[in-house]
Amino acid sequence: MRFSFVELPGELRPLVRPVVPVQIEDLDDAPQLCLLDSGATSNRFPAWLADAAGLSLDDALDEDEIVVGGTRTSGRLLQVELTLGAYRFRAPAWFCDPWNLSFGLLGQEGFFRFFRVTFCAAEGWLECEPEEEGIALVSGVP
Amino acid sequence: MDQRCYGKDVPTFTVAGQTIELERDEVERKLERVLPEPLREHYVVVCSRRYPPKQVLSEVTGLDRADFTTHQARRILKRLGFTAARATPEATAPETDGPATAGPFGGRQAEALSGYAGKWVALAGPTDVLVAADTPQEVLRWLAQYERKATGGMFRVPTQPTEAEGVAPR
Repeated sequence: MRFSFVELPGELRPLVRPVVPVQIEDLDDAPQLCLLDSGATSNRFPAWLADAAGLSLDDALDEDEIVVGGTRTSGRLLQVELTLGAYRFRAPAWFCDPWNLSFGLLGQEGFFRFFRVTFCAAEGWLECEPEEEGIALVSGVP
Repeated sequence: MDQRCYGKDVPTFTVAGQTIELERDEVERKLERVLPEPLREHYVVVCSRRYPPKQVLSEVTGLDRADFTTHQARRILKRLGFTAARATPEATAPETDGPATAGPFGGRQAEALSGYAGKWVALAGPTDVLVAADTPQEVLRWLAQYERKATGGMFRVPTQPTEAEGVAPR
């Protein structure tokens, strides 16, 4: 699956970032643009997304203060169903509050474990190829 | 519908048999907290947002939308100084062999998002902003209400570059 980087308004020229639209659980109206962050170990999302997706943060598997973008934030860990294109996978994600970033973050354990990713920063695109294990083709999607 | 201006400063219009006084400031004020409905063929720009003309006139006057046409609403709003235009189809797919400095969409996506810094947006395509709001919850409600899907994704347009970076501490 090939995705274009997103272009954001910048002072001198557009800011270009590698992102993919990821559906959280059954929130199919609003896939979230998430930054592919190979330096992150885990997925990190804003806490409001858990509420929107009907996930209770009271059921968190873990709770910790973690750092996102250099800012300390309170995170709660849940296992969530994520969908990228035609592929669905179950991955750990920290839901954080406060959240000051533009995008959710996809890291090694929660995303790169499931997809092999090729970046072409020169042309502004990336490709995700699913690994063989831990990922399912969504029924009804070609 | 008859449109006339009485006096020097306050434009007056007759719509659906009712005479209304309408000023640009009033339109902007009343739409401050109103999200635009999905666009069809025409739109007007109010406070950097694109609205269906009939939605604007109905919101600010309380008139039933069945009582006037899009063309009438456009004319009134244009006379108040708002930009009115015809919605164009989504921009074409990115040229991936283009110059990297301008971005994969040649700067068009950045341009389309330039008025939304700090807003949560839902995209139908690279340059097609379905809705923009102050909170993600407002965006989700809008998508549900109008049964639209943000196929291009949802995110918050950054106000500064550091908001669009990763987990690494600075």
